[in-house]
Amino acid sequence: MADTILKIEHLNKTFEVDKEKIDILKDINLEIKAGEFITIVGHSGCGKSTLLKIIGGLVEYTDGTVERNGKKVTEPGTDCGMVFQEHRLLPWLKIKDNVAFGLDGVPQDEREKLVKEHINLVHLDGFENVYPAQLSGGMSQRAAIARGLVSNPSILLLDEPFGALDALTRIQMQREIQRIWKEKKTTMIMVTHDIDEAIYLGKRIVVMSARPGEIKTILNVDSAAKNRGSADFAYYKKKIYDHFFEDAEDAPEYII
Amino acid sequence: MEKIKKVLFPFLIPVIVLAAWIYATQLGKVPSSLLPGVSSVGEAFKRQIENGQLIQDLGVSLGRVVKGYAISIILGILLGALMGMSKSMWHLFHGVTTTIRQIPMMAWIPMIILWCGIKELSKVVIIVIAAFFPIMTNTLGGISSTPKEYIEVAKLYKLSRWKTFTKVYLPHAIPQIFVGLKLGLGTSWMAVVAAELIASVSGIGYRLSDARNMMRSDVMIVCMIVIGLVGALMDKIITLLFGVLTPWEKKGKAV
Ligand SMILES: Nc1ncnc2c1ncn2[C@@H]1O[C@H](COP(=O)(O)OP(=O)(O)O)[C@@H](O)[C@H]1O
Ligand SMILES: [Mg+2]
Repeated sequence: MADTILKIEHLNKTFEVDKEKIDILKDINLEIKAGEFITIVGHSGCGKSTLLKIIGGLVEYTDGTVERNGKKVTEPGTDCGMVFQEHRLLPWLKIKDNVAFGLDGVPQDEREKLVKEHINLVHLDGFENVYPAQLSGGMSQRAAIARGLVSNPSILLLDEPFGALDALTRIQMQREIQRIWKEKKTTMIMVTHDIDEAIYLGKRIVVMSARPGEIKTILNVDSAAKNRGSADFAYYKKKIYDHFFEDAEDAPEYII
Repeated sequence: MEKIKKVLFPFLIPVIVLAAWIYATQLGKVPSSLLPGVSSVGEAFKRQIENGQLIQDLGVSLGRVVKGYAISIILGILLGALMGMSKSMWHLFHGVTTTIRQIPMMAWIPMIILWCGIKELSKVVIIVIAAFFPIMTNTLGGISSTPKEYIEVAKLYKLSRWKTFTKVYLPHAIPQIFVGLKLGLGTSWMAVVAAELIASVSGIGYRLSDARNMMRSDVMIVCMIVIGLVGALMDKIITLLFGVLTPWEKKGKAV
């Protein structure tokens, strides 16, 4: 398949803690096509961040294959940006320099052009010369998204990027990331613990089980479900909750 | 009210001390051989300024501080940064530096004089030893406490080790490095005075010990006050420099 941008086959990951091997990820298989928006939901600690970091080349893996753009992942690369839950902007760099952080080695004039373009993309014009401490949480995440996209990567990994924001800002940022996704056509893979967010943004939702992290199911979300008030939306919501609590005795009735 | 506090409070204690001093000496309760009057100290100060001796003494001492302090900044930041960024460097140096640091600066002076004589070199070496440790340990602390989240970002964008140092580790460590620079400058100043007191023919410390030999308590007090004020002034300069070099530290949440 030509337009497969990420291919994960039989990925296992263990961490060694106190000389004991702990299974974190177990037999992950996932194929993502160029331009998709994938959301990943799962219990906290099930290995979602680890999975994203493996895709991004930040964490090593030994078992299985992970291919980004047809190449085995061994290290980070400019083809893959990442946004974390904490904005991780460097406090000592102005916003424009934080955004330019991913452009090490790019010639000056091209760098300036890219920075300007991406600050504009996330609607932070006018804030180029302020320091991160002067921005609100939502604006900081905008800057972090600009940094993640500045080298025009084909994949953007988002690890609970809006998890620390208040509810209204979160919904606003969900719209923003959707707009940016449509504009840039970047493949986006977002981890979230917000099921509404997963349904609203994901074309496919990867549901993971608790430790060790396995893919329980992958749901295709059709576009009719994107309206938060719709019956389809509620249907997906129930379906995801059912997956989470299928083993639990007390199936939650407060869902819908 | 805040403003009054800020402007007046720093002078409150000096004024009280001065008043007590005048009271004690004017009323003749304390003999002038023990504590000279304010006016005679003032005159001694005027004399010292007019004949150029004070300026010359200070120049000599400060020149020594500048040399020794500059060397300890380079060595301290270098070793602190190396130890903070590399585990093997840390293992190599940590035990040794911790042990050497326990030796008080005064305890070095006899051996330093034996090895380096009583000329310029010995003073500079003593300053280096005194200022090196606070700078090194604070640099180490600042570098090694750099959040791993930031280092991960540098890794994500494949920054070289040097770029990671200049863009991530070093700026993060700067506030604490400045703590070390302040402490180091203070100890340099104390070290040079101590070294000059013990063995020297020039400098403000020498002037103090010379005054003692001449039983000139007025000159001794002039020297002590000047040593204190010059130290405080240097401290202030470092604080101002810190403000200039870290513009991101002041900016609060404004938007
Ligand atoms: N570097 C590491 N060494 C050891 N254990 C780790 C490391 N990173 C993560 N873990 C463990 O792996 C599990 C999954 O972590 P993580 O991927 O952050 O989960 P999630 O993002 O789904 O909450 C957790 O139990 C965590 O403690
Ligand atoms: Mg996580």
